[in-house]
Amino acid sequence: MIIAMNTATLSMELSFPSELGYEKVARDAVAAFARRLGFDRERIEDLKTALGEACINAIEHGNGHVPGLHVAVSCICEGERLTIEVHDKGLNRYQGIGSGAAIDVKLQGLAPLRGMGLMMIAQLVDEAGFTESHDGGNHFRLSLYRRV
Amino acid sequence: MTIPNSDAEYTERVIELRLPSRLGYEKVAMDAASSLARRMGFGSDRVDALRTAVSEAVTNAIEHGNEQDSAMKVMVMLMVRPDGLVISVADQGRKQLEHDKTAATPRIEDTFNKEDKGGWGIWLIRELMDEVEFTTAPTGGNQVRMVIHLER
Repeated sequence: MIIAMNTATLSMELSFPSELGYEKVARDAVAAFARRLGFDRERIEDLKTALGEACINAIEHGNGHVPGLHVAVSCICEGERLTIEVHDKGLNRYQGIGSGAAIDVKLQGLAPLRGMGLMMIAQLVDEAGFTESHDGGNHFRLSLYRRV
Repeated sequence: MTIPNSDAEYTERVIELRLPSRLGYEKVAMDAASSLARRMGFGSDRVDALRTAVSEAVTNAIEHGNEQDSAMKVMVMLMVRPDGLVISVADQGRKQLEHDKTAATPRIEDTFNKEDKGGWGIWLIRELMDEVEFTTAPTGGNQVRMVIHLER
């Protein structure tokens, strides 16, 4: 089959309850989307790990494990870039990692362990970070570029 | 992930997907549905049946209901129940599904003599799922609601 390159913008959205376990369904759905777009297996595995972390943050912190609050994930592919946004309701707003200590410092117990997930996500995808939000929720964005 | 008890007070767990109407992207719904069903405890043969039914329903929505306009969306809802999984697939209804297509059982003898060998998707969905209902979505599109029971 011919996979659209450079031409169309393709998007999908999904939402799921804030209960641990549902992030795996989101991960599998987004992995299938990325596969259709032509991303290779290795990159998709990285994406799944990064997205899983981002979704767990949204479930635990942003939505405080309240199943009635949904985590919304949107995926948009424009040209060679796939951008995925994870939105929660902002029960807890992201305050920054604080110390920003290196991982070995954290592991030695000299700095708080918080923020390890975000450090890992940053290693796995091409771009990642919180973006400005006007609805009170946390908006986390990660992007991958398709290498041709 | 917890499977709710029927007697407990509980918020219904719903996963919603909005997919582009382009053939191939039904795989997203198939993978989401099977990922959820496996975690709910469905056996692999039931998961395969579910994958096929979801594939047929979403493909119909892409090809017929939305006429492959990738800007139009297919809405898929997966509702987790104590006794099973409810899947609803809705399109934006550029083309309405004719009633006789959803009600009649196709005859294999007729198909031999026809150029178009299609038209078996709805029959297949009815064979594979425990409950199937065709309705019009609140948005005016075609909607199919399918239920697969969880046998414990």
